[in-house]
Amino acid sequence: MTHSNKIFAAAVFAAAHLIPVSEARAADMDDAIYWHVQAEQLEYRTGESDDVVAWDVNAWIGNDDHRLAFKSEGENPVGKRLEAAELQFLYRRPISTFFDGNIGVRHDLRPNPDRTYGVVGIQGLAKQFVETGADLFISEKGDVSARLEAEVDWLLTQRLVLQPSAEINLAFSEDAAIESGAGINNIELGVRLKYEFRREFAPYVGVHYERKVGATANFARDEGEDTDAVRFVAGVSFWF
Amino acid sequence: MMNNSNRVIRNSIRSAAVLVFLAGAAPALAGAGKAGHGHGDGQKMGHMKDGMKMDGHGAPGHHGAMAAIGEAGKAADVTRTITVTMIDNLYDPENITVKAGETIRFKIVNKGEFLHEFGLGTAAMHKKHQAEMMKMWEHGMIEADRINHDKMKMDHGDGHAMKHDDPNSILLEPGKSGEIIWKFTKPTKLEFACNIPGHYESGMMGEIRFK
Amino acid sequence: MQPSFRSIFALAAFAVGALALAPAAMAGTYNLEIARGTIDVTQDNRDAMTINGTVPGPVLRFKEGEELTINVANRMDVDTSIHWHGLILPYKQDGVPGISFPGIKAGETFTYRFPAQQAGTYWYHSHSGLQEQAGIYGAIIIEPKKREPFRFDKEYVVVLSDWHQTDKPEAIITNLKRMSDYYNYQQRTLGTFIDDAKKMGFGAALSDRMDWGSMRMLPSDIADVSGYVFLMNGQNPEQNWTGLFKPGERIRLRFINAAAMTYFDVRIPGLKMTVVQADGNNVRPVPVDEFRIAVAETYDVIVRPTEDKAYTIFAESMARTGHARGTLTPEMGRTADVPDARPKQFLTMADMGMAHGDMAGMDHGSMMKGMDHGAMKMPGGDHKMPDGTMMKGMDHSQMGHGMMKGMDHGKMGHDAMASKPKDDPFYAPGSGLMPKAANGGKFLSYADLKAFRPLYPERESTRVIEVRLTGNMERYIWSINDVKYSDAEPIKLKFGERVRFKFINETMMTHPMHLHGMWQILDNGSGKDNPAKHTISIAPGTTVEADIEADAEGQWAFHCHLMYHMASGMFRKVVVERETAEIAR
Repeated sequence: MTHSNKIFAAAVFAAAHLIPVSEARAADMDDAIYWHVQAEQLEYRTGESDDVVAWDVNAWIGNDDHRLAFKSEGENPVGKRLEAAELQFLYRRPISTFFDGNIGVRHDLRPNPDRTYGVVGIQGLAKQFVETGADLFISEKGDVSARLEAEVDWLLTQRLVLQPSAEINLAFSEDAAIESGAGINNIELGVRLKYEFRREFAPYVGVHYERKVGATANFARDEGEDTDAVRFVAGVSFWF
Repeated sequence: MMNNSNRVIRNSIRSAAVLVFLAGAAPALAGAGKAGHGHGDGQKMGHMKDGMKMDGHGAPGHHGAMAAIGEAGKAADVTRTITVTMIDNLYDPENITVKAGETIRFKIVNKGEFLHEFGLGTAAMHKKHQAEMMKMWEHGMIEADRINHDKMKMDHGDGHAMKHDDPNSILLEPGKSGEIIWKFTKPTKLEFACNIPGHYESGMMGEIRFK
Repeated sequence: MQPSFRSIFALAAFAVGALALAPAAMAGTYNLEIARGTIDVTQDNRDAMTINGTVPGPVLRFKEGEELTINVANRMDVDTSIHWHGLILPYKQDGVPGISFPGIKAGETFTYRFPAQQAGTYWYHSHSGLQEQAGIYGAIIIEPKKREPFRFDKEYVVVLSDWHQTDKPEAIITNLKRMSDYYNYQQRTLGTFIDDAKKMGFGAALSDRMDWGSMRMLPSDIADVSGYVFLMNGQNPEQNWTGLFKPGERIRLRFINAAAMTYFDVRIPGLKMTVVQADGNNVRPVPVDEFRIAVAETYDVIVRPTEDKAYTIFAESMARTGHARGTLTPEMGRTADVPDARPKQFLTMADMGMAHGDMAGMDHGSMMKGMDHGAMKMPGGDHKMPDGTMMKGMDHSQMGHGMMKGMDHGKMGHDAMASKPKDDPFYAPGSGLMPKAANGGKFLSYADLKAFRPLYPERESTRVIEVRLTGNMERYIWSINDVKYSDAEPIKLKFGERVRFKFINETMMTHPMHLHGMWQILDNGSGKDNPAKHTISIAPGTTVEADIEADAEGQWAFHCHLMYHMASGMFRKVVVERETAEIAR
């Protein structure tokens, strides 16, 4: 707990001191501070297993070189208790033309008991315009886990976008308290069809598939939960 | 922007292009030249040692057009001399007034730093001539400030060099001067013009006004 | 017999004499007031920044040799400034906040004082923030002391500009920073893929997609910003700016591109235009059917409509997203046809400096073969060739186009040859932006521009400064030599030296590079007649060189004139310093 807080504090400190104060002159406008708040997914999932409200949002503020970022994702089965809720506070900076490095903390409010992690990761635009992310997490218990994400926008028209996505979570050791086994924990695959009324606003429909794997699946079976589910989704993505 | 190797290649292409052009165009030009030459019989070539006469690939062209604009005059008939100064890229005077039947000696002086022409003709004739001059320009026969005599004199393979000996036009390098003697037979819409690319269009032309 | 000529000489002689006797005799005071106002070019009035109440501001007409006093009053609530684009003047009068002076604070008045040392068509604009896009720009005409080497009966200023229909300048740059393809609605889709597959075959279409995907770039990114309405003298195409003429008159049109982001391809269907001046300096006249005017450039052309009819001045954006339009007519109310938009233009691999297929006959195909585009971090990264050599500093101009065109001369009749438009050597061979005249005729090239009277004698430059134009489209960071302005050291020049800037465009955008205070003598192969310009456009995948005579002491701005490139880092300070040892010599 204190360890990860230290990481976060250090990140904030570093960012606060490295972002220069921008002056309103033509010449040095290139160091201005911008911000962005984005709800990439805000959706209702229905089909096999419980209906779920899910979110995936993020935000950043900073200049070209130094940014503070926030990410949150989670799921809330309708009519039940919050199932998963994750918050990340990150310091972000470019590490290559198309990729950023992230360092910071992650705190999961759910599942119970809550967990705090240190986060190191990269994210960026891979070849063929694939948005990718890879994160390594070290929990306060010393367990190490990782997440790989990929997503791509295929334009059917200038505004109609087909968006396949994939996510894999894996752990290098077991954390039974949160039903996480060693090895691959789960896989999520999705295909969403968005219509961009504006860049900032795109409702969508799609299909979401989720499967728990290995020891993690066993935990779920023990609890009488489903290990996989296909659901239809409807939602909106927006930013400002 | 151009590096050396590139320029060499471009130049060699240009030379090749000129050859092709000359080979293809020679018969046509030779024909036009003959027609022009016929009209230029009364012209004393000795006067032209400073300058270079343009042949008919454009300006004088056809017998009909030639008749309409007047004819080469005889020195003995000259009643008036008009000095036309050419600077870059303008004439002084800007316009010239003549009487029908009058034979005028035009003393043409190039006080500019560029090559200039003084040619008499209708607007349509000048337009045609401009296209021809553009070709000569592209093929390096004339440059901004000089006539490329070597390329001008190039033998086309049929014994005809590109001679420029038409009586209604004169092409002068910077600092040179020459003259044209012209008889204005009847009132018609005439212009004097420099048909080097861009010169006419930017204002190096004037009207021949009949009194 | 030669009254006009003589009188002009007499006048000139008198003027020279008068100047000698009383050097400060010719002086003028001008007042500009910058205030918030509105512009009426979209559905409703929009907030704008105005000069003396209008967009564009008033045409400032000076005389060569005039001692100028220009009071600029800032009636806004933010800092402002006026930069005199293309004028040679003391650097403190140049109007760049943070470089020439601190700027003009809200409510204050700054008095500019400098002599008009030159003649020609120039312009002025705010150099503070993004205010130029908000409306602070106008034309400058400086009448020459001497007679000009061309004739005209009438003249019009034609200021071209872009006005965003929905977004304020600050919103535009914010959107670009958040999502660099925010304004690109000409992206490749399933539909365009099917079209491509039909045209070039499925395999080729896929491979082309993969090539662009490897680079993570969009071939449709020509202007970065869409959604503009294009203006001619502040009027939209429907408002139709109109100039009158009498048939047979020569009209001088002074074109100024005051747009923030838009290059225009300008033509007047039915009329030849003879270019007589570029960036304020006389050039040898070039008759053309069409010309491309980069952001911040000026071109003066002479047209001579002889028929009693109206003509459309049509300035189409290079990205083909719209046009500015005006009319030349013998009487008010008459209009001419407005041409249809031409098909959209797309960048090709040639614009990335690495053409493949359509460049048969060029040996550089083999050079590029096997090159892993994906391994190239482009733009901004090092361009590693497979053999480990760097593509950095690669001279694109070696990939001359001359050899491709004209190879078939043997087959062509000479008429065909003469009339066939040549490719512009200032574009990469096979470039998607290769200028082509709408009527198949002559399109002006930089190669056609020859100084009427060179401003400087030709001499060897003392050194070459490499200016790689770089950027990161994804992050919307633009830079020079991979470093943006706020991280960069100034470029230092020694007073009196002649340096050569070697521009290497490693991005896929076309950059109009503007140097303040000194001319850039564009090397277009004309030797001593290379033209002097204040703004030089460098097309994607090309290398362009220009000499700078460092004859203006002080500190100067040097930047890409695309507003949002300048604002995101493609900018340098150039310092011209005297070295005491040098002076003594």
